[in-house]
Amino acid sequence: MITFELSEEQQIAQSTIREFAQTVLRPVAQRADSDRKIGQKELDAIWSTEIVQAQATEEGRSPILNALLLEELAAADATLALAVAAPMAFVQAIADQGSAKQRQTLLAAFTGPKYQAAAVAMMEPSFRFDVSRFETRADKKGDGYTLNGVKAFVPLASHCSHFLVIAESGGAADAFIVPRESAGVTVRKPKGTLGLCALELAEVAFDGVSVPSAMRLGEHNGCDVQKIVDSARIGLSTIATGLGRSVLDYVIPYTKERVVHGSALARKQAIAFRIADMHIEVEAMRWMSWRAACEMETAQNATRSAQLAYTYAAEQVMSIADEGVQAFGGHGFVRAHPIEMWYRNARSISVLEGVAGV
Amino acid sequence: MVDFSLTDADKRVVALAREEAAIGRTYARYYDKHEDEIEPKVFPDVMDRPDPLEVLDEVEGETSGRVIAELLVLMETAHGDVRMRRTKHHLGDKIVNYAGTEKQRELFGHKILSIALTEPGAGSDPSMIRGSARYDAATDEWILNAEKIYCSAFGASDGAVALVRGPEDRGIRPFMAFVVEKGTPGLTQLGQVKKMGIRSWDTVDFVLQDCRLPAINKLDVDFKKTMIVFNGTRPGVAAMGLSIAGSLLDFTRSKLIDGDQVINYAKGPRTRSAVEDRLIRLEALYEATLLTILRCKWLEHRDGTTNGATKVEAAMSKALGGKAARKITQECMEMLGPEGLSEDYLAEKWFRDARIFDIFEGAGDVNRLIVARSLLNYSQKELN
Repeated sequence: MITFELSEEQQIAQSTIREFAQTVLRPVAQRADSDRKIGQKELDAIWSTEIVQAQATEEGRSPILNALLLEELAAADATLALAVAAPMAFVQAIADQGSAKQRQTLLAAFTGPKYQAAAVAMMEPSFRFDVSRFETRADKKGDGYTLNGVKAFVPLASHCSHFLVIAESGGAADAFIVPRESAGVTVRKPKGTLGLCALELAEVAFDGVSVPSAMRLGEHNGCDVQKIVDSARIGLSTIATGLGRSVLDYVIPYTKERVVHGSALARKQAIAFRIADMHIEVEAMRWMSWRAACEMETAQNATRSAQLAYTYAAEQVMSIADEGVQAFGGHGFVRAHPIEMWYRNARSISVLEGVAGV
Repeated sequence: MVDFSLTDADKRVVALAREEAAIGRTYARYYDKHEDEIEPKVFPDVMDRPDPLEVLDEVEGETSGRVIAELLVLMETAHGDVRMRRTKHHLGDKIVNYAGTEKQRELFGHKILSIALTEPGAGSDPSMIRGSARYDAATDEWILNAEKIYCSAFGASDGAVALVRGPEDRGIRPFMAFVVEKGTPGLTQLGQVKKMGIRSWDTVDFVLQDCRLPAINKLDVDFKKTMIVFNGTRPGVAAMGLSIAGSLLDFTRSKLIDGDQVINYAKGPRTRSAVEDRLIRLEALYEATLLTILRCKWLEHRDGTTNGATKVEAAMSKALGGKAARKITQECMEMLGPEGLSEDYLAEKWFRDARIFDIFEGAGDVNRLIVARSLLNYSQKELN
């Protein structure tokens, strides 16, 4: 039955996280961006929301609820939202597709009080990278695999306890759980990125890393890598929705106050129409994310809806951030306002794959 | 909790409408070429078939909600280009039924009445309406003079609710609405309007010249109350435009993606063709628009349709629907190339048909004004 109704619990969780994100995260977003680092205090604060921890249990995991909460976090800061969504992707993959033993041994580490980083390592440092072809290879060797390749844009890589490495294995994509301390794993120094600067996105090299069969996700059953891709696309769509909303909420008061040629900017159709479009698009992005999350929640194949949600969100969030900069004029270009950061972040979140979970 | 699946009853009425639409499609070119002909009330082809909307009456309680199911049916019907059954209600009789007195509902409520707003000098801005009504106390009649154009469904209807200006009262000539029935002396129909597209859409211009109406024909509505009727129809009209764009998108996909191949939604942007990439972007726009319209309809279902509660969401639906109809059809035609221009196919017709959907029932620009005023908390005077 078609309904957009949120349950009372969902609404309470949504408003709790909204309040938290706006009062705790929003004030530190620009500093984290310029420091290129998220402070331990902030990491622990986002951990205290227990969103990541909830993913470890079946009853705690709800893609629809996650979509609501990630949007709220991203409305404060997309980078900090990704600091939640990145370990979420890892925990969800283990919880959804790991063997009983993998769930038992790995998930406990994500239920403690301290921020625990772990990430899906999917992207690769190549302009030709695509989720349909991985250069990183896992070759069968004896009872295990040998992993070779370089992964890129791994969130908080140097803090991660584990990576879930997506690699080509026997002609198909497969996933392998690799502890950071394994021999042959090198976490490279972050090179710096256009946006999401505080995420310390870095390359991780895997040089002849031995992975026992017990660490292949799902062990002998293997896993469905596309599910991880789909989940990330939905997660990124919800984050784009939140980012778009923050631009809109920032543009409205400014354009109402700013007087140009005798009247407020917002009273000119050229600006007012853009504001109307921003709002229409943010809402549409949200419904697209919700539908994809809903399909994921009800164990349907969400590949198409995830692709469409992400494609739409990617286009719209860029245009919203772009119009935001334009509405602010010179103020949109200087770092005193968050607008330029949102412009950089909008382009960044809309080209990633695999880094987020819903 | 949030859910996007159809109920069995939704699916049943949708399936019935889809089957009828497939029949309707076979008449698409005929009525495109014969715009002066009004289609039969019910096509013989569907006489023995259950009317999807009548089935909906029976199963309403098991649908996602009446207005939601109606919208789903409407989208299927629009896929058929030519509707197999005329609608039983129009905007004019809807106004009579929500705003008329008991006597008026009795006299006019069962008739099919269009709404007549537009004049040569008054489209998006109804304040420019110059049609007039004056009162003749001697006969207790109103005398109307107006030129009304682009009146939808007027050819097949029993008349219209016409919006005109009344006598000056303290410097203002207030809006007044009257039921004008066909056959009233002074009413002259000027025939079907010659249009670029939607040529099967019954559209008539008419003139009222010293047209005398009994006082009972005057409805007790102001401008705002009259316009409420559009809150429900804007998302519906947006859905029809989107549906036509969807027909062209389906056609384009079927012609440009080889044989039994399907679009691969799993891949990323660097391993798909330009055609695939573009189709995915247009599909995304299509779906985003559809969900926006469905959300509005769900709000109507929850909050009611005649209280103006969904004014902003209706405007959002229409603004996005109009944009999607334009963008999808324009891009599909570009992708199809020269062969798409041929009248051998319906592509060129859908391209012509879709363009009106960002103009009538509230142009995109007008809908953006409504949305922007609400977001910025501006009055009509502050933002126009």
